[in-house]
Amino acid sequence: MKLYDYVLSGNCYKIRLLLGFLDLDYEKRPVDFFPGREHKSDAFLKINPLGQIPVLEDGEIRIRDAQAILIYLASRYDKSGEWFPGQSHSQIAEVAQWLAFSDMITSTASAARLHDMLGYNLDIDAARAGAHRLLRVLEDHLAHQEFDGHDWLAGRRPTIADISCFPYVALAEDGGIDLFCYPAILRWIRRFTALDGFHSMPGINVSP
Amino acid sequence: MDTDVSQVGWIPVALNNAVQAGSAIRVIAGTDDIALWRGKDGVAHAWENRCPHRGMRLSYGTVCGNRLRCLYHGWIYDGSGTCVAIPAHPDLTPPQTIKVRTYRCVEAGALIWISDEDNSAPAIDGHWTPCRSLHIEVAMPDLPEILKWTKVNSVRPLSTYAADVALPDQGRLILAVHPMGSKGAMLHCALPASARRDSLLSASHWLGELRSRIEQAAVV
Repeated sequence: MKLYDYVLSGNCYKIRLLLGFLDLDYEKRPVDFFPGREHKSDAFLKINPLGQIPVLEDGEIRIRDAQAILIYLASRYDKSGEWFPGQSHSQIAEVAQWLAFSDMITSTASAARLHDMLGYNLDIDAARAGAHRLLRVLEDHLAHQEFDGHDWLAGRRPTIADISCFPYVALAEDGGIDLFCYPAILRWIRRFTALDGFHSMPGINVSP
Repeated sequence: MDTDVSQVGWIPVALNNAVQAGSAIRVIAGTDDIALWRGKDGVAHAWENRCPHRGMRLSYGTVCGNRLRCLYHGWIYDGSGTCVAIPAHPDLTPPQTIKVRTYRCVEAGALIWISDEDNSAPAIDGHWTPCRSLHIEVAMPDLPEILKWTKVNSVRPLSTYAADVALPDQGRLILAVHPMGSKGAMLHCALPASARRDSLLSASHWLGELRSRIEQAAVV
């Protein structure tokens, strides 16, 4: 398996996280995202016409989009069936709902981070305000899950829903988005970093 | 709002489940930036969020037993805030003068309270369980202002920033507010320890609606 990867990308980190949890061997093919903009090069556009990373190649199969790759890896390689639970229709929908939500986090919290870290030209106030609106939704959901005795986004066990939301939430402070006013999110981050097989990335402060 | 912690008595800065044993979090109280942490023994500490060495936020630090270790150069402080070890100078006994500024810190009513003053801590009867802490975008002057936005049957003040209130639909709860200067405020809510899932969920919705009403009025 080959992962087109950039060390500071939260979307690539999602894939590295699941590959780590599943203890799968893979080859990293680093993409010079910054400053080289290799993901927009003619050569890379033949691999992904959207000019985005990550991309996963597994034999003849090539997949773009972090969420799609998570679904592929979990449904193909997770023998426990827990990372993408397929038993209940409502739980499949619930996971899908958070995968879509994670893309909204990318377009707000990740955009703010690109602005602050890499100098991207965008409306930083709108990006941060949008992120806070989403973080309130996430905070409410996680607090209410705790009332039910559940620690995770979609049930009693961590799923690809948690993996897809974790990176850009945990990295939000890189984009000037304070997390200290979201206590349930902070508890969830702490639980996530304590999972067996968890790997960190630059910017994720792991408490032992 | 420029609230100087030294002049306002006890401030409820978090629900007791916001910081777990062996971890540290950041809280803002008025204009003060504070590291709130618990040792393995469960005792909560509130310190100025600044390592005396290079100014790193101590809330990024690591709790080692009942001591806090700064993320930056690993200086270690005991429960009183006194530096007890400097890794770059393993043979040195650090001078007693290297000390973090600390606040008084107590727990009552499922809340963690801090103060700079030498007065008695808030007396709260009964056993309580944490419900929700919600960020609110507007800096709230005081609790009576907030309570104007909801129906209450009775109010028993616990401090400037908290009250034991009885509500027509929710019953009894502790409502607390803590101002965070330019960063708005936090609303904290605790319920009697007997509260189960449905009461917690109901109080959470009530608190969310209260926040919405206040924020929407502030926008107009």
